[in-house]
Amino acid sequence: MAVEDTVKEILNQVLDVKPEEINPDEKLEDGLGVDSTEMVEISVGLKKALGIDISDNDLKKTHSFNEIVEILKSKGAN
Amino acid sequence: MKKIAITGIGIVSPSGLDKRKFWSNIKAGRSAVEKITRFDSSRYTSQVAGHVHELDAYSNVSSRLLKKIDMFSHMGLVGAELAIQDSGLDLEKENLDRAGIFMGNAIGGWLFAETELRDLYIEGREGVSPFAASAWFPAAPQGQISIKYKMKGYSKTVVADRASSLQAIAYGARTLNRGKNDFIVAGGMEAPVTPYALLCCQTSGMLTQRNETPKTAYKPFDKNRDGYAIAEGAGIVILEPQERVKKRNAHVYANIVGYGTTTDGVDRINPATDGLSLASAIRMALNDAGLKPEDIDYICLDGAGTKIGDLTEAMAIKSVFNGSSNKVIASAPKAIFGNMLGATGALDVITTVLAMQHSVVPPTINIEEKDPECNINLCINKAIHKEINNALVINRGRGGINCALILQKP
Repeated sequence: MAVEDTVKEILNQVLDVKPEEINPDEKLEDGLGVDSTEMVEISVGLKKALGIDISDNDLKKTHSFNEIVEILKSKGAN
Repeated sequence: MKKIAITGIGIVSPSGLDKRKFWSNIKAGRSAVEKITRFDSSRYTSQVAGHVHELDAYSNVSSRLLKKIDMFSHMGLVGAELAIQDSGLDLEKENLDRAGIFMGNAIGGWLFAETELRDLYIEGREGVSPFAASAWFPAAPQGQISIKYKMKGYSKTVVADRASSLQAIAYGARTLNRGKNDFIVAGGMEAPVTPYALLCCQTSGMLTQRNETPKTAYKPFDKNRDGYAIAEGAGIVILEPQERVKKRNAHVYANIVGYGTTTDGVDRINPATDGLSLASAIRMALNDAGLKPEDIDYICLDGAGTKIGDLTEAMAIKSVFNGSSNKVIASAPKAIFGNMLGATGALDVITTVLAMQHSVVPPTINIEEKDPECNINLCINKAIHKEINNALVINRGRGGINCALILQKP
């Protein structure tokens, strides 16, 4: 599965949002109302799904969908 | 105290969520206590409880939020919505900076917490939901209600075992007396039907072990009682001062007119053996209301269903009511659905205001042989018709907590 699809799946699991509701360039905080606790759950979900090492501070609610995909790719996700 | 009106009620109980259905079950004395099936309770000494079955049908909570909160907050949110609707309040026209939330809870949200704690030891820290910390603690429902309705006034959560929500309602009424808020959402919620919560309750030694006969297991004031059955649920009321009630021409179920509370200072679980501190709390409430014992038409009892609990409650009533203790009628309707611990006081208040409204004394069910040592006038097994103008509600909690609240028909 592509990284983009994995992120969409985790966002759906945590936030109950459909892929078409995600604006890829909007901050998660602004577009989807993500709070800091939800961001922790998203990070843990991505870490498990992708099998890569992500620290607590790598992904933030102020990141957009596209920024998160780029960070994950830079850490070896593919 | 200046009287404070109850203008709305919200019920989440094993006997129903709709107030008409709830009252029909209470009036008829239909037991809602069942064998626990949510988890394997076969190794517990107490295996019966009152369960809420219709929560999803009434839920006003999104699936996204449901992942973050425990069942006790969910029940609190549903109860609050029912109470607000029932009161006819239009929140868009209210100054929500002066809307308060006073809740009672005894044990927190363990259905969520214990699952996550298990995962902590199996999977490590990343196996734990980040929502666990904000889901389990007793003030979580207060926070969720505040967030949902944007209510930002002076608020509080009371933790006082089985007296939690009666204290919360009383402190809410006192807060309105001091003019700190315009109106208050008050009550309590409890979700004790979980493996760990049941274990905590069981260690008190106060739970019934009549596991083969759940419907008749909880039998307060019966000679052969052996403790109470736990129950889950929530009870929420809307409290408003008189001037507001008149202005918006609101329906008033009853007024809170007096409150008293004391502590025994004797034992961490059992009440004092003389019942004197409870008697003091009742006298305090009567004085606060400006009423005499003979003015009370009905007593909604704590009804712990333990030997010492029932006996000392009867002793306190006899001490306060003297010659009239055989005249005033009393009952413990909570035996019908179980003891909701931190929410039980709110359900007692709601049951009592419905009893006033319908002029019916709800029964104490499951009494086969009344304990002759408990010399009070009990309404046994069958409801009776009676005009109720003033009613006393008694709640007690472990640690020797005694509370008495007086309600008056409008």
